[in-house]
Amino acid sequence: MTRDMIDWTMQARVEAFLYEYAASLDEERFDDWITLFDAAGCTYEVLSRENRDLGLPAPIMGCYSYGMVCDRVAMLVKGVLTYRHNHLLRQVGNVRVRGDAGNAGAELSVRAGLVVYQSDEEGVSSLYMVARYEAQLTDIGGSFLIRRMAVAVDSFGIDTMLAVPL
Amino acid sequence: MKQAIDPAWPRDDFSRVPYAVFTDAEIYRLENQRIFRGPVWNYLCHDIELPKTGDFVTTWVGDTHVIVARNGAGLVHAFENSCAHRGAKLTSAVRGNAAHLTCPYHLWTYTLEGDLQGVTFQRGVGGKGGMPACFEKKDHGLNKLRVAIYGGLVFGTFSDHAPPLEEFLGPHSLSQIDRLLVQRKPKVLGYLRQRIPGNWKLYNENVRDPYHGSLLHQFQVSFGLQQPTMRGGIKLDADLKNTWNHSIITEQDAASQKIVAEAYAGTGKFNPDLKMADPALTRVPLDLGDNYKTTILSMFPTLIVAQVDNTYAIRHLRPKGPDLVELHITYLGFESDTPEQTRDKLLTVNFIGPAGYISLEDGEALRLVQQGIRHRRPGGHEVLEMGGVGPIVDTDYLSQEISIRGFWSFYHQIMGLPAAGRAEATP
Repeated sequence: MTRDMIDWTMQARVEAFLYEYAASLDEERFDDWITLFDAAGCTYEVLSRENRDLGLPAPIMGCYSYGMVCDRVAMLVKGVLTYRHNHLLRQVGNVRVRGDAGNAGAELSVRAGLVVYQSDEEGVSSLYMVARYEAQLTDIGGSFLIRRMAVAVDSFGIDTMLAVPL
Repeated sequence: MKQAIDPAWPRDDFSRVPYAVFTDAEIYRLENQRIFRGPVWNYLCHDIELPKTGDFVTTWVGDTHVIVARNGAGLVHAFENSCAHRGAKLTSAVRGNAAHLTCPYHLWTYTLEGDLQGVTFQRGVGGKGGMPACFEKKDHGLNKLRVAIYGGLVFGTFSDHAPPLEEFLGPHSLSQIDRLLVQRKPKVLGYLRQRIPGNWKLYNENVRDPYHGSLLHQFQVSFGLQQPTMRGGIKLDADLKNTWNHSIITEQDAASQKIVAEAYAGTGKFNPDLKMADPALTRVPLDLGDNYKTTILSMFPTLIVAQVDNTYAIRHLRPKGPDLVELHITYLGFESDTPEQTRDKLLTVNFIGPAGYISLEDGEALRLVQQGIRHRRPGGHEVLEMGGVGPIVDTDYLSQEISIRGFWSFYHQIMGLPAAGRAEATP
């Protein structure tokens, strides 16, 4: 795609959507995060580069229905899981959008880079995750709904654990 | 330094373990020498990962990087990933296929058995230079491990004194490997890697510790996957290093919520009303059909073969110093699985691994222990008394720490540490 072909309005809308996606997780507004997914049917997966390159199907985290996406964060909110509670900062960049612009119901294919930093309670920060978002979005006019979100992780040697979705 | 490498073991039933074994760099160095290069069988890979001639994988035996390759005769060989010439790493690939191995530095080549095959300019150039006449290629192979295979699991040892593999694994491991990995031909569904900031032996404790199973893992308890009242127990091998721990569904489990509620009273952790929006994950049937909810085979020093609900996995510990271990998981399905059974396994993988509803908590538990013992007064010991002290024996119940004491008993012996239970304090 050349610069001339970019639909800048669509680009800005998708970027704003991804920023809200990242911020809702950073700020632990999990109820807001799940509203970004299509309740009629969606998937969310975290995939390692290693398995992808080998053509192996197992995800690190795999939710194959809207209910499963809700469950992933419900287990955090309800205190079921004992996990390292770091502050996370997601940086989304190099956002690329493909698909029909502007038509309600249009399907968009979105890719973006993701870097996540973690900071502990004593203010020590480190790099937690290097990954890419690969999303299928439905344009619903004012916003989008996620039909499919795959987070492809380069840093698949995961530091301690992955409790909070990326 | 003496205190560092000679911590006190005050009780010879190993109900006290000195915290120094988890933090001390000198102990870690000795472990590499006496355990990983000692008379043990180290897990290397599964046979199915090397289907063709020339296939290789790289793995770790303690701190040593090892190549495991299948040669033209179909045999599996293992050797250090370090050139016999100047020590360079031969390959950075995790896996691949090669007719022979070539060192990138001076292009020396090795066979798939680890023997030196070619030395560039061995006879010199234009009649000048070259290796001396006394240089014999047969004297300069890669450092090799002895290899043995049981049930598709490939093991290697650097020692001439390791007992026969089957004797080392013990009867319970053999029969359960047959049950989990032999009666159906496994296939790899994926790899999961978790770098846990804790000592590698803390994970060995964790998998020999059914006491924590229904306490740390609220998810299991809330959805009836594991209950302290389940039938089960542990069985040890002859020298107490390897543990088979298992739990089995019984009819009484329906009534066990009441017992659990009483046990958890006041902890604020019990949540019987917890529901899942989509409970499909907890409804996947056990496809072996023998009612085992968990089978954890913990094999000294770094291998765990685990069935947790309907998941099957090989867990391999790759120590990275005293404070860090990579938990490398080979997640398995079976050649005979239907497409539906494969889909089920891509769902139940959510139980295990770095994002597993159950397993992610073990990573956190290890981190907390390592942090806790790093930042306390020097000295001190773990207290392992659940299930009783004294003889280290099999049990027919789950809330116990006896099998952890079995691990330490063997560890203490193979490390050649000063006798346990002596009265005087370490100088």
